[in-house]
This record gives sequence, structure tokens and C-alpha cells, in this order.
Amino acid sequence: MSKLEAVRRDLEAALGVDEVLSDPLALKLYARDASIVEGVAGLVVFPRSVDDVSACLKAAARHDLPVVPRGSGTGLAGGSTPIGEPIVVVTSKMDRILEVRPEDRLAWVEPGLFNLDLATALKGTGFTYMPDPSSQQVSSIGGNVATNAGGPHCLAYGVTSAHVLALDVVLPDGTVERLGAEGPESAGLDLRGIVVGAEGTVGVVAGVCVRLTPEPPVIRTMLLDFATVEECAATVSAIIAGGVVPAALEMMDQGIVRAVEAFAHAGYPTDAAAVLLVEVDGVAAGVEAQAHEVESAAHANGVGSVRIAESPKERALLWKGRKSAFGAIARIAPHYHLHDCVVPRTKLVEVLLGVYEICRDEDVVVTNVFHAGDGNLHPLLSFDRTEPGVLERVLRASDRIVRLCVDAGGSLTGEHGIGLEKRDFMPLVFTEEDLAAQACVRAAFDPEGRMNPQKVLPDGARCGDFAVAATGRDAREAIPEGTWI
Amino acid sequence: MDLTEVWSREGLRDALRDAGRDGRRVSFVGGRTHLAKGQPSDVDLELDLTGINHVVAYDPPEMLAVVEAGMRIGTLRAVLAGGGQEWPVDAPEEATVGGTIATAPSSPRRLRMGPLRDSVVELELVTGDGRTIRSGARTVKNVTGYDVHRLATGSLGTLGAIVQVGVKVRPLPRARRLLVVEGGGLELGRRMLATVPLPAAVVATPDRVEVASEGWPGEVEEQTTAAKTAAAVVVREDERIAGDEAIDAPVVAEVAVVPSRLDGVLSDEPDWRALVGVGIAWVGLPDDGERLARLRRRVAEAGGIAPVIRGPGGLGDAPVPALEVHRRLKAAFDPSGILAPGRFWGGL
Repeated sequence: MSKLEAVRRDLEAALGVDEVLSDPLALKLYARDASIVEGVAGLVVFPRSVDDVSACLKAAARHDLPVVPRGSGTGLAGGSTPIGEPIVVVTSKMDRILEVRPEDRLAWVEPGLFNLDLATALKGTGFTYMPDPSSQQVSSIGGNVATNAGGPHCLAYGVTSAHVLALDVVLPDGTVERLGAEGPESAGLDLRGIVVGAEGTVGVVAGVCVRLTPEPPVIRTMLLDFATVEECAATVSAIIAGGVVPAALEMMDQGIVRAVEAFAHAGYPTDAAAVLLVEVDGVAAGVEAQAHEVESAAHANGVGSVRIAESPKERALLWKGRKSAFGAIARIAPHYHLHDCVVPRTKLVEVLLGVYEICRDEDVVVTNVFHAGDGNLHPLLSFDRTEPGVLERVLRASDRIVRLCVDAGGSLTGEHGIGLEKRDFMPLVFTEEDLAAQACVRAAFDPEGRMNPQKVLPDGARCGDFAVAATGRDAREAIPEGTWI
Repeated sequence: MDLTEVWSREGLRDALRDAGRDGRRVSFVGGRTHLAKGQPSDVDLELDLTGINHVVAYDPPEMLAVVEAGMRIGTLRAVLAGGGQEWPVDAPEEATVGGTIATAPSSPRRLRMGPLRDSVVELELVTGDGRTIRSGARTVKNVTGYDVHRLATGSLGTLGAIVQVGVKVRPLPRARRLLVVEGGGLELGRRMLATVPLPAAVVATPDRVEVASEGWPGEVEEQTTAAKTAAAVVVREDERIAGDEAIDAPVVAEVAVVPSRLDGVLSDEPDWRALVGVGIAWVGLPDDGERLARLRRRVAEAGGIAPVIRGPGGLGDAPVPALEVHRRLKAAFDPSGILAPGRFWGGL
């Protein structure tokens, strides 16, 4: 009996036959996330409780099989692509809100809960969960934790890590630990801070204690349009230099505005070279002062028009335009490859113009929608996979874009993660010693190297003390042939 | 015990490698303002890092500052003020940036500014065996690799020496007021928190409540008006809110529990400052150990911790989760075990 067959029987006994899938269709469905990488799943399981997750990891340990945690599968970097026929542990059926405690400004949720469902459930409490990735309708809180997800409102409020107080984590040997605390500090090292953003490589998050943030009393949303991207980007810098930290500061170029407008009908100006969506919030007088600064910065940089959302409905419409960008681009071409680099804010124009040049050079259609306030670029390369040679051009352009961002003093990823797609770029930003130290951190949680193999760290990154345990495993060899499609 | 001043990363590396070879135990010192935090630990050598103190990169529009970690908080404050900004961590002027990050104290303005750990975006650590490793990036948002800086923050110098950091900074408030309400107690504190929109801090003590109002001038005015609807308020223009330094006691413990459990923990205590809405309270205690033990029993029942930050008393014996993971991390970063043995939680 194969190892997979043996573990299937164990898990069917522990979780029930309906929660364990091994038919070819299921394996195919879970062979990829929202990236362009495809792998091969060994077995797909659907735990319903912390105990179930623990049972999965104990079985995996017993049979020496790799494990890939997965939420909604909306990851864009291949972080939950199964490599080496692992057990794919899908947390989608763990989607309850367990408790909401406004008096302690926290809520406990299961990892499979959709981000937006939490925000919706909190309506009326006076509090909200701030991180709002554009995927929030379908991405899970557990997945958000794994990638330390961002979103437009992270400019003022911080990324996911700032909104996670504690995690119930199932370690690779199946033991359950609560990392962090409901209160403001905990005993020991900030292991919570390692698990957030570890892309499922150190354990499976089975419970999340999120921090609730008071809803701002007043919100003002503005749409500014510009005749050039330079003026638009200069306005971003001027706003920040003016001492304003907007709640959100999003930039969209003409290509994406046109695609969005045809789809969302938000009233975005399609003749502008770029638009800025700016939101300021806080107490009324503070919002007034910030809005004034924003408008001054815009006028000083040649803004065309300033549209202020006059009602919650209009605000929602303006945001619909921004958040439906990735749905709208299907109008350009059937496939896309979305990038996620962060550069210093002051290099935005330079890098953006560089991205246009690279894509012109490689003959790839590019549109841009991004978190300008954070310096977080999202060049979106659109293509039709059936066109001969196009994938090679897209991948070459992608490679050049990553290098351009790093050369500008930036980082490989702001909020999507390293996953499989960017792990081989890691030596561009870290030394061998840096990567070895990171390998040690990973190995401290997972000495046998069974959690989400092949992800985040490039081949060759080894923690000296733990190297023996981590070598000689199938799953840790080079990416299997044919994983790129 | 010997004291050696180091002036460079190379000097630090050599000192650590020598100490490792000779089996000498080492601790790192900066401004000596936060040394009380930690379990007692005997060392043979102190390495003074205040000589590693230059500005590496500071461009105000980036809202980030990269500095060497031996820099004094007062120096950093002056550098950032030149750009109209601040690192919103309220530590003593003579403390070093690295020492402050290594001990991760809570600031009175934590309610609005968040914990210190979320402001550190890049960090360079020299490990116990002298390797220099960097994590994070000079961008406000980043998910590239494992955040070793999260481990170093609050590690009390037991994983390595913090030699350089990138921190998020923010605009200095245009206006600042301290709103003082006579009366005191957590209940009144919660009332002020519910009444004043988005204050920087609400600090309750047994006999008064202080509300830190800061931001745009109109914002401060609006917060003041709101405060006056709830209580009689004395307005102090341009005054900063105080932290634990306002407590005059031989021993000060920093209690951390969920906000709703503060009442039970503080019910019999006469001397405290509590961060309403946060769950931090600084409690002044006599130097007899007994009162600290009683406080810690109550804090443990409330699921929290109460490390001492001034005077004797150490961290307490709260259980450390995933102790095996902690042990492996310590072994990886300090393989000879020379960095302040036993100072950290869990006897590490």
C-alpha cells in the first residue's frame, strides 16, 4: 500500500470519508491557486475543527508526507500550489466567526472565513477589521494571514500582521500552540509575527484572533484625474510631504480605468492618463484639514478635476471601480499575470515608466492599478495563452520588472508573497547568510521540512544545524518538470 | 565584569567570536534605561553599542528612517523633527533605538500608534556567533521572506545585537493637548474613550484620567469639546502624556491583559497608570516581592503577563508557548549560548 493510500485511510477514519478527496477531478481542481503555476496534489482534505487539522498533520507526520495548507486558493504567487504530491489541507469548511468581543477590541474566527464576511458581520458594532485586500469577497482570513495581506487601507492602518493578536497554530507534528495573546503582549518571542506571512511553511493556522479597529467617524473619498502619470505620481509625493497620511491612496492608469469603466460604470474619466483615488478619515475637523491638503497638492500638480463622493453610495461606487479592476481586465485578454513589487515612494514615476518601456519592448499589454501611497506596484500583464510565444514574453517581462524594482531599492513582494513564483529571486535581495538564517527560522518550526515544500526559500538555502534533516527528501528537490504551464 | 565599547559591526563580530571561543557570557548595553526587563543573568562582558550610531538613510517623503541602532532616542527625535516627523515610540531620550526595540516597551500612545513591533520594517542583527543578517526591506509594506526582525524585537538581546533598523515614521502632530479629568478609575477612563473620538491615548490612574489629544488643530479642538461633554476637563496646551516614568516606586510591573480584565487585576492596587482600550497597566510596587507575586497571580488568572520594567522581579513565570521552537531558534542564533543566558522567557 502506498503512503498516500495509507494516509487516506487514516484520514477517512479520523475526519469522515466525505472530507477526504482523491479522485482525479478533485486533485486537478486543487493543483493550482490563482497564479500561473500548476502542481500535483496527492490528497485533498477538509478539516472542520482544530482537532481535525491536528489529525491531518499527525497523519502526515506518521506517514512522512508533505503538507500544503490552503484557504480559498486566491493566492497569486503559487504559495498553495502542491508540489511533490502533498496532502492539501483546505480550511474552507472552517468558516465560522467564533466570538466578537468589542469590549476587548477582538474577535476569534476560523481561518476559512472570507475577509468580507467578517467585515460585514461587524457592521453595527462600531468596529471593523481593517485589512481589505481587493480579493476580500473570496479570500480567507487564514490565507490573508499566510501572505500578510495588504489592501488599500493598509496605508494608514498597517498590513494584516498589525491586525492579528493571536493564532492557534497546528505545528507540523500536530501539536497545537496559541501564539501571541488576546492581550497586548505575550510571553516569549513574537512567533505570531513569524507565522503571519510565512505562507503556510511553518504550520497550519487553525484559529485567528483579530484586532478590531474603531470605525472612523468621518470618511471622505475623492477621485482626482491627471493628464500625465508624472503629475499623478507627483501628487502622491506632495500629499505625503504635506504631512497627510491618507487612509488609502490608489493610482490607476488609463488602460485599467478604461477596462474598469466599461465594467463597473463608476464614472471614472476615461480620457485621463491616470487617476488617484484618495480617502481620508478620522474626526470631522481632521478630515477637513487633510482633504484641504490633498486638494492643494493636487492643484499644485495640475489635477484635471476633483470629484468628492457625496454619499455612501457614491463612495461605494468609486471603490467598486478600484476593487473590480482584476475582474475587469478579462475585457483586455483572457489571461493575466499580476505583479506585486514595492519600491520607495519617491521612485514611483521612474519605475512606472520603466515598466511601460519593458512591456513595449516585450510586446506585452500592461495596465497598472496600485497602492501608490505604499509604493506597492501591481503591473498587470494581459495575454492570450493560446498565442504562440506570448508566455515566454510575459515571463521575460516579469523577470525584468522584478529586477527593475529591486534596482530601485524595492522589495520582491508587498502583499502577495514569494510562493513559488518569486523564490528564485530571493538572492537578489538577501545574502546567503540572510537566507540561511531564514531557513533556520523555518526549520525551528518544521525540522523535518514537510510544510509547504519548495516555497519561499530558493533551493540551496539551508540552515546549517538543520541541513541534515532537510535534505534527501523528494519534495525538496528541484521543481518538477512541467509545473509551469 | 568587563565593559568593552564597540564601534563597528566588525568590532562587534570579533568581540563575539572571541567571547564564543573563550566561553565568556555577553550582554549588550546601550543607554541602560531598559536593563531591568529580563530574568537575572550573570555575564562576563558587556558590549556597549552606543558607538554604532549613524543615520543611514532618511528621506521624509518615504516615511521611513534607517539608522544604526546605537543611536540615542533623543538624537533620532531631533533628526526626524527636522523632517517634520516622529517615530511614535515614547522612550527616554538617553535610551538607544536598538535597546528600545530589543526590550519593546509599551508607549502611552499605543492606542492610536500601535505597538512598537509594527513600526520595525528592516533590521540588521549580529548573531551570537558573529554573523550579520538582515531581514525586511526599506519599504512600508513587504512580505519577502521570514521576518527575523519580528524575533529580534523584544528578544532582550538573547538572539543577537541589533545594529541597524528601518522604522516607520509619521508626521508630527500639528497640535497637542493633554486633557485632564479629575476623578479617576477605569470606568471613567472607558467613558472618556467612548466620548472622545480617536484619542492618541486615554490613561487612567486611581485619581484621574488623562486624554492625549493630538493631530490637526481642528481635530484637537473637536476632541476637547467632546471630552467636555463627559466631564470637567483641565486643558494643558502642548503637554505630552506621561508613561511609566510618572510612577514613583521601587518596582514597576508592566501588566498586559485584555482590556476588560484590568479592573480585576488592579482592584486592590493603589498605584497604577492604565492604557484604557489597550490592556497595558504600569503598576508601582514596594520592593518586597510579595505584592508582585499577588499581582502576578491575578494577572495569570486573567490570562496575561506582568514583567517588571523597573527594579527587581524579572519577567515572571508565565508559560511560553512552543518552547521547543524557542529552543531551536536560540540554538540557531546563539549556538554557543553566550548571550545573556537565562535572561529570556522560558529560561532561555
